[in-house]
Amino acid sequence: MTENTSETRAESDGGTTADPTNDEMVIETDVAGATDDRDSTATPDPIIRSRDLDVFYGEERALDSIDIDIPENRVTAIIGPSGCGKSTFLRCVNRMNDRIDSCRVTGELSLRGKNVYDDDVDPVALRRRVGMVFQEPNPFPKSIYDNVAYGLDIQDVEGDHDEIVEESLKRAALWDEVNHQLDSSGLELSGGQQQRLCIARAIAPDPEVLLMDEPASALDPVATSQVEDLIEELAEDYTVIIVTHNMQQAARISDKTAVFLTGGELVEFGDTEQIFENPEHQRVEDYITGKFG
Amino acid sequence: MATDTTTEVAGGFGQVSRTVGQLFRYLLLAATLFGLVFVTILLVYVANDAIQPLTADPGWHLTFFLALVVPTLAAGAYVYRRDGEAFQTGALAIGLAVVSLMFSGGAAMIFADIVEPLTFLAFLVAVAVPGVVTLAVVAYDDRIPFLGQFAVTVAAFYLSLFGVPGPLGAAAGISSVVPGVFGLLAGVPLAPAPWLLAVLSVGLPLAAVGGSLVARDRGRRARLFAGAGILAVPLAGGIVGPFVGVDPLPATVVASVGFVPPIVYAANVAINVPRERVALLIPVTIIVGALVGAFAVDLAGFAGPQSWVDWAFLTASHSNTAEDAGFYPAIGGSILLMVTVAVFAFPVGVGAAVYLEEYAPDNRFTRVVDVNISNLAGVPSVVYGLLGFGLFVTYLGQPDGTVLLGGLTLGLLILPIVIISAREAIRSVPEEQRAASYGMGATKWQTVKNVVLPRSFSGILTGTILALGRAIGETAPLIMIGAPNVTYSLPTSFSEAASAMPLQVYAWSSLYAGPNFYNKVVPAGVVVLVAVLLAMNSIAIVLRNKYQVGD
Repeated sequence: MTENTSETRAESDGGTTADPTNDEMVIETDVAGATDDRDSTATPDPIIRSRDLDVFYGEERALDSIDIDIPENRVTAIIGPSGCGKSTFLRCVNRMNDRIDSCRVTGELSLRGKNVYDDDVDPVALRRRVGMVFQEPNPFPKSIYDNVAYGLDIQDVEGDHDEIVEESLKRAALWDEVNHQLDSSGLELSGGQQQRLCIARAIAPDPEVLLMDEPASALDPVATSQVEDLIEELAEDYTVIIVTHNMQQAARISDKTAVFLTGGELVEFGDTEQIFENPEHQRVEDYITGKFG
Repeated sequence: MATDTTTEVAGGFGQVSRTVGQLFRYLLLAATLFGLVFVTILLVYVANDAIQPLTADPGWHLTFFLALVVPTLAAGAYVYRRDGEAFQTGALAIGLAVVSLMFSGGAAMIFADIVEPLTFLAFLVAVAVPGVVTLAVVAYDDRIPFLGQFAVTVAAFYLSLFGVPGPLGAAAGISSVVPGVFGLLAGVPLAPAPWLLAVLSVGLPLAAVGGSLVARDRGRRARLFAGAGILAVPLAGGIVGPFVGVDPLPATVVASVGFVPPIVYAANVAINVPRERVALLIPVTIIVGALVGAFAVDLAGFAGPQSWVDWAFLTASHSNTAEDAGFYPAIGGSILLMVTVAVFAFPVGVGAAVYLEEYAPDNRFTRVVDVNISNLAGVPSVVYGLLGFGLFVTYLGQPDGTVLLGGLTLGLLILPIVIISAREAIRSVPEEQRAASYGMGATKWQTVKNVVLPRSFSGILTGTILALGRAIGETAPLIMIGAPNVTYSLPTSFSEAASAMPLQVYAWSSLYAGPNFYNKVVPAGVVVLVAVLLAMNSIAIVLRNKYQVGD
């Protein structure tokens, strides 16, 4: 594993400059304006690192040589137009793509230095370390308590489950609304509450990384802002990677932003403020300012 | 003409002709109703022959019309106007009462003639004891490895059911040393009266379930009270039964299986759903109306219809005179056959469906299996009969015509239907639910167990019940495997030969020729068969509606 605490950043077109055969190669690039207040405390270690990651659906290329270093305990937003592969990238991290027969992944994607696509990696064990929240709220038709305790039960988590459930619901800012009805069905909640229930479910077994695939896109504005506040709080303890269509949302809640553009390319990755205020690439600026996409 | 979009000026826009469309619509309606209308007409004729309602005095009809039909219609209309949902609840209560009563008849037959109550109770306890052991083992599952748990569980069941060394020892020539729980209890020399045992083995579990349903979360005391109240019903059945000419044992069973579910349902509505209390007006009107009508008819001396479906028909065995011929052994045979079919086809069919939907890779082999299961569903039933005969009698040397043989053959017959409907139910579980489970780090087994099966269970059950409905009416496979057309007593074990309802009807219609057999006894048998079938299907329909609401 490459321990690199200096300014380490995969450059936008890194795939073309990096030697694809050298997985250990890290491109060091000094980016102007990297000394804003967030980064003044030095960029944390990358928890997720991908090198030359390609994904194909059958013959169709969905991701094109993605090199990225995602820092720990930060919110990293992935934005881009529809079909640019941002959800595909997210689903690579916990290998949910394995469930699609036609999907083929090459290259490296490592979690704390271990390539998750190595043969000896059990995707089930991986997913216990990487939680996921989906676009549509998808609580189980079980009680609120059983929904949150689901991961604890299947993973045989030690400790007092009642306490963990309460703690998770509190962290998901849902406890005050549901503490008197833990036995009622999770489906009786409103859409925004259901999504927070799904977040509570995802964080209950205490994963290291939390993946969020457009978690607020099916919610109304009030519920969206609740979920956004929640994500910012979660970043204190978790590495959050969030895919979103909504650029204002990315600007509001993320520390780092990755811009994927059509063809499955990672065009630019950097501090959110810099991406939104002073992007390096004209295509990124066009996308952010709404000229295309 | 195809281009009949004649327009004529009317109100400024003109009109577009829809003649062809209307014609097409009514043709489709005719196609929809075609079969339904003809089968209904046939069944009306059959029911008329079997029940002969027109042989009753006009006074009898008038009495029941005034005492039962008019008040029921009035009560129904009143409840419906006040609250549509309450009307449904009331209708469901009546349906539940009818279906439960029919099933209680079957259960009473089983306890009266097939299984000793003591044996059944011993079996229940012998299963419950290792069941508790299993739960305890599972509760400490983090300290014992899986294989250890499995071994303890299997050993517990084996010891409880068979003792030491049990059939394994018998195979090695060692006689039994220590009897199991089952052997101990079943061999108790001083047992209380059979009907008390039935109260214990049938009434008690029902009372426990019903008690917690009625009491909801009102605490232990309320649950105990409710359970005790419900338990009084089977007890009362056993005590009152002899005074009205019914043996205490069947009376207890009928009271448990037939009366307890509708009573629990009504009590639940009355106590827990005050808004729908008015629904109970419907069943109360029907019960009171029927009692009043029966009393009035008795008082006035009006003669009822000379129905061929009467108590004697349901409780007697075949006779060469049409007047004495009964259906009892055939009903019992059908019940045992259905139990065998369900025990065989349900786990195998659901297992295959889960494999094909959740585990099978998408390859040529799976596709071949897939297509051929659909083909199997279309194979004529007589071919399955041949298969059953060839496999079980010729190869395995089983005696022909036994309950086990018939059940397995019919089970094979409905297996493809069970698989197809179970797959449909499993496929209807939303993909997001599976993704949520896998995303939490669940294994495939955990996902199937915790998410897929609970969510699809009622759909699977619906499909299985409909398939059982197909099996209960099958005749050809039973003829092929040599099931007797006529038996004079109930089979007492699964290795005894048994007849079945459709087979008995077939025998009456062909072998015991005589106008009264053709015209009266056959329709009576058909009415009973169709009634059982409709009762089973109504359960399936209720389950399916509940399932759709839950979605």
